[in-house]
Amino acid sequence: MNPSHRTIRTALLTLVIAMGLQLSFQTPAEAGAIQVVDDQNQTLTLPQPAKRIISLAPSVTELLYSAGAGDKVVAVVQYSDFPEAAKALPRVGGYTQLDIERILSLQPDLVIGWQSGNQPEALDKLRQLGIPVYITETRFLEQIPDTLERFGQMADTFETAARAANQFRSTLDQLKNQYQDKNTVKVFYQVWSQPLITINKQNLINQVIEACGGQNVFAELNTIAPRIDVEAVLKANPDAIVASGMGVERPEWLDEWLKWPSINAVKNDQLHFIPPGHIQRQTVRVLLGAERLCRQLDQTRTLMADSVDQQGSAQ
Amino acid sequence: MTTQSLETSRSYSQQQKLKVFLLLGGLALACIASLVLALLTGSIKVTVGELWQLIQFQLGLSDQPANTLSATVVTELRLPRALSALVVGAELALAGCLMQVLLRNPLADPYVLGVSGGAAVGALLSIMAGLGSFWVSGSAFVGALTNLLLVFGLSHASGVWSPSRLLLTGVVTAAGWGAIISFMLSIGEDNQLRGMLFWLMGDLSRASLPGWHGLFLLMSLALSALLARPLNMMLRGELQAKALGVAVYPLQITLYLLASVLTASAVTQAGSVGFLGLVVPHILRLSIGSDHRLLLPATALAGACLLLLADTLARTLIAPQQLPVGVITAFIGVPVFLWVLQKSNRGTV
Repeated sequence: MNPSHRTIRTALLTLVIAMGLQLSFQTPAEAGAIQVVDDQNQTLTLPQPAKRIISLAPSVTELLYSAGAGDKVVAVVQYSDFPEAAKALPRVGGYTQLDIERILSLQPDLVIGWQSGNQPEALDKLRQLGIPVYITETRFLEQIPDTLERFGQMADTFETAARAANQFRSTLDQLKNQYQDKNTVKVFYQVWSQPLITINKQNLINQVIEACGGQNVFAELNTIAPRIDVEAVLKANPDAIVASGMGVERPEWLDEWLKWPSINAVKNDQLHFIPPGHIQRQTVRVLLGAERLCRQLDQTRTLMADSVDQQGSAQ
Repeated sequence: MTTQSLETSRSYSQQQKLKVFLLLGGLALACIASLVLALLTGSIKVTVGELWQLIQFQLGLSDQPANTLSATVVTELRLPRALSALVVGAELALAGCLMQVLLRNPLADPYVLGVSGGAAVGALLSIMAGLGSFWVSGSAFVGALTNLLLVFGLSHASGVWSPSRLLLTGVVTAAGWGAIISFMLSIGEDNQLRGMLFWLMGDLSRASLPGWHGLFLLMSLALSALLARPLNMMLRGELQAKALGVAVYPLQITLYLLASVLTASAVTQAGSVGFLGLVVPHILRLSIGSDHRLLLPATALAGACLLLLADTLARTLIAPQQLPVGVITAFIGVPVFLWVLQKSNRGTV
């Protein structure tokens, strides 16, 4: 036999044995394997709880920490700025532009992606490379606690996760019970001023507004973040204008509405601010935004009732 | 071609005067009609009666103020935007026309030498820094002027100057700006990204009353009236123009500066509204010929009307949602241009 053939044969044999060994090692672990279904309805099987997790969205990073899995996160994407500990973690690019090599080199045993943020090609690539990929897509507030529990399952921190999830559910229920059925307040939610952008009913913020007994005046438009003009707001005549802006500061442009006293919200001084981190991210903190919004809209509601009373007594 | 060019350097006959008067008068009327349309349409209903009452009140002919909400909507929102659309449209069309003569290239548009690229880098930088719209316009203007000096300096650096050298320098500089813009877009944050994209697509929603931009447009129109005859001679080629006593080099410099500053003023107000500056001059050249005494003012008027109409459509077509105005200018401009091109048998392009 040709010696080079023998080398190849030996190599092949070694490979087969190695694979066999791997299989035999895997079998006992499979007993404790974890199966979860992600938001794209894909079933994901982890041979053992994840210990090296990479988060591909700022909101996923937050949810992982809330689920008690913070110490298992080895890397995150840009803008993962909450909680404080996440800022110190290595970055693997922005959520639209992932550094696949960096992800590979960190040897994750679980990557958690974000359907509407990450590029599907990048997520497919990671799957092809043999990394388990769980994809999140939060369309409803009620999904947030479910996601927490699944993260807890995958990271073996189920107790902490379930506690956080139950707390979320009960706080949300409480807010809804208290505010949802009160008199409707017409709300204009302003995402940005240049260009002027609002949200429609597909957006999670719309559900927060409804939970507080508000009604988004642009709910029926057909894009998720429609661009509108000032006239449309004048016509809709909202009772309250709520804006978030970029940072923890109330945006200066919120006061630009003061030029338009014909809007009820301006007349009654109902220009409200909610920090974007408390309402624009699909995380546990959305309840902070919800609590704040419910209080603000309740204030608007009281003022409206008062002015109706005044009109009534004047007549 | 030659006979036509000869004609164009003579004075107008009585009949031609009538034609010029009718054409420019017609375009001016079209602009006024688009302005009225722009003031009347929008989410808030404003009736013709209310508008008339408002105009009378503003002119001091009547002391009866119009319905307050309609009046503020018209004077605070629609009028400033409509007037800037007119000014920006005229500036872009005029700049495009001048660029095409200067570079002797039918594909030239106001942005070909990188003015809008420089302006975009300036504007995007201040959007990223989170600065207000005053700073965004200001830095766009600074960016445009930087490009103007850069391209001018580079194309003169070796001492040999020619329009084709200018074109190459400008195109490559524009590509450089393009790369910087892509870089900035790829690192921008979500909320800022929207503002940046709308700036790049051209957007009149943040325009205020045109002010000094309007004044500058009028001055440019007056200057272009002086340039019209030498430009007509330039159509016969540099050598012939020189022989006829045209100071070719100073003329080219003036054209470059005028077209660049016009473009700078336009992008400062509205971002880079595309397409208009390329197509409007062609449509007019194909339909009325290349006599610049008529072509330049007609191009400015037609550009103004087209942009105002396009902007009115952009903000009302799927109201309350808004479209970028550049989309509409292309939707109107492409078929009109192709139609004129099919009909035309002139070889002026």
